Amino acid sequence: MKKFLIKVNGIQYEVEVEEIGVSPQTNINYAPAAPVAQAPQAKPAAPSPAPSPTPTPAPATTQKPSEPTVSKEVPAGAQTVNAPMPGVILDIKVSVGDSVKKGDVLLILEAMKMENEIVAPTDGTVASINVSKGASVNAGDVLVSLK
Amino acid sequence: MTKADKLNQLKMKREAVELGGGKEAIEKQHKAGKKTARERIELLLDEGSFVETDVFFETRSTDFGMQNKKVPGDGVVTGYGTIDGRPVFIAAQDFTVIGGALGEAQAKKIVKVMDMAMKTGCPFISINDSGGARIHEGIDALSGYGDIFLRNTLASGVIPQISLIMGPCAGGACYSPAITDFIFMVEGIGQMYITGNQVVKAVTGEDVTLEELGGASVHSSVSGVAHFKYSSEEECFRNVKKLLSFLPDNNLAGIPSYPVNDDLNRLSPELIDIIPDEPNKPYDMMEIITRVVDNGDFFEIHKDFARNIIVGFARMNGKTIGIVANQPNVMAGSLDINASDKAARFVRFCDSFNIPLVTFTDVPAFLPGVGQEHNGIIRHGAKLLYAFAEATVPKINVIVRKAYGGAYIAMNSKTLGADIVYAWPTAEIAVMGAEGAANIIFRKEIAQAEDPITFREQKIQEYREKFANPYVAAARGYVDDVIDPATTRPMIASALEMLAGKRETRPAKKHGNIPL
Repeated sequence: MKKFLIKVNGIQYEVEVEEIGVSPQTNINYAPAAPVAQAPQAKPAAPSPAPSPTPTPAPATTQKPSEPTVSKEVPAGAQTVNAPMPGVILDIKVSVGDSVKKGDVLLILEAMKMENEIVAPTDGTVASINVSKGASVNAGDVLVSLK
Repeated sequence: MTKADKLNQLKMKREAVELGGGKEAIEKQHKAGKKTARERIELLLDEGSFVETDVFFETRSTDFGMQNKKVPGDGVVTGYGTIDGRPVFIAAQDFTVIGGALGEAQAKKIVKVMDMAMKTGCPFISINDSGGARIHEGIDALSGYGDIFLRNTLASGVIPQISLIMGPCAGGACYSPAITDFIFMVEGIGQMYITGNQVVKAVTGEDVTLEELGGASVHSSVSGVAHFKYSSEEECFRNVKKLLSFLPDNNLAGIPSYPVNDDLNRLSPELIDIIPDEPNKPYDMMEIITRVVDNGDFFEIHKDFARNIIVGFARMNGKTIGIVANQPNVMAGSLDINASDKAARFVRFCDSFNIPLVTFTDVPAFLPGVGQEHNGIIRHGAKLLYAFAEATVPKINVIVRKAYGGAYIAMNSKTLGADIVYAWPTAEIAVMGAEGAANIIFRKEIAQAEDPITFREQKIQEYREKFANPYVAAARGYVDDVIDPATTRPMIASALEMLAGKRETRPAKKHGNIPL
């Protein structure tokens, strides 16, 4: 397990990266916007007692099942449903083992300020769900696989 | 030889040609799930209307034993006939005759009917089912392709050209259909590829079947090469006829007109309910299109390719119109590379053949992303702007919801030359979404605010009220009127009638330089 401190727009995030054997799975847990340093320099007017400059370790980011995750593992022979554009997973409407019909809504991808319904391209059974609620995905990322 | 003998001789010669590659080859063709060239022509054209040309045309090749080989019709059946009473020219490759391979004589036959189609101003249909160039004839076969490509190009924008892929269409042969206006493919039998799977494997190591490489599914959904995909030849022919019913015979002929039983002044009060209350909820744009056009009859093109934009033909008052509409159900209706290409080509077809354009706009933006930028969304998006700006046919735009930024301008906007732009009261016409705009305009203020979150919300709301509506655009004349959605059909119909005599000239030039 590797830990990284990443600073984005002045806010520090603690990120854990774990490499598991040969499997290509990477679990990246984006600590949910836990600002380590301080709230964005919003209140310069009220200089409160010096904000501690040393970054206190972010609240535990150890794997809670509720953390948004993205996985690339797909059962052999399954057909993948990929993200058509970058966005955030808002809701997942199916679970592994569900049988779905072509056109059924699998999940909701919020992108371009729209709640886009990602539908099953064919009939099948949900073989894996590769993202969790709240996960950020890029275009082409595997969302769900069907068998 | 008596006269009777001569007649008999003619009959026998004709029968020999009509048998094509012979009974065995015909059986083989049927076993492969394919009809013969003559059966296809019979199915497509009006009964008994087909007149064959160049029945006895023969190859003059004598190399590699060709002098001893009989090549009836040289692997293609050509001629003319009618579809729904309107004349068309046709060339159907005959796979039973040496695999339909194209030699000099076959090319000459095809070129002859193409020239006649051009002279008489009639649509040209080619049915492709051929192994490729006839290698025995060497470079003469290749030149034959060149002759056909040249005519495809000269005929482009003069007569509608339709290609039916009902067998292999390999290598250079693909470029004839590719230049034509519409490509139909039949699943399981039609395949198009520049290099076959064996060459692909040798060069790149990729292991694919011919169907995976260039089958109907791939070309109708992934590559966008094919406009239509059908599961049987019969279904394909039915839809070719349907497509032709929307098209004029040529660029100088009027567009076909049919009697209508759908009231022009029909109101559609349910239209407003199709738009969701929240701007971040998608809906199916088809619901709107089918409620506006005559009898809800919409003939979609490129149904499975770049589904974030919809293009196709419909009728208003019995006359053909071309429809371009964003599809909020797919990728939020944003414009990406494929959507731009798909719509731009359709707009240019309509403009070539004087078919008025009606657009329904609900577009959030051009799709952001490294992939889009690196693959040239600038170059491809430019085609759509160019096509709309260049078109001189009547252009009507209905903005039903979002019209943001550059994508708003690209979608048949007033400033690109739209004749009439209507907006529904649900329209949001602005430079960008309220969230993004507030973040930029009030960046400093938000940062300095006591409560940045509430302050930001406030500013977003302020921006939304000020700009996310159709009235700012209407106040500048970018929108001609804000209309009750229920009246969309009568408003479009009346605009089309008003624009029927539209004349707009462009500066004299050889041709423009559309960004390709």
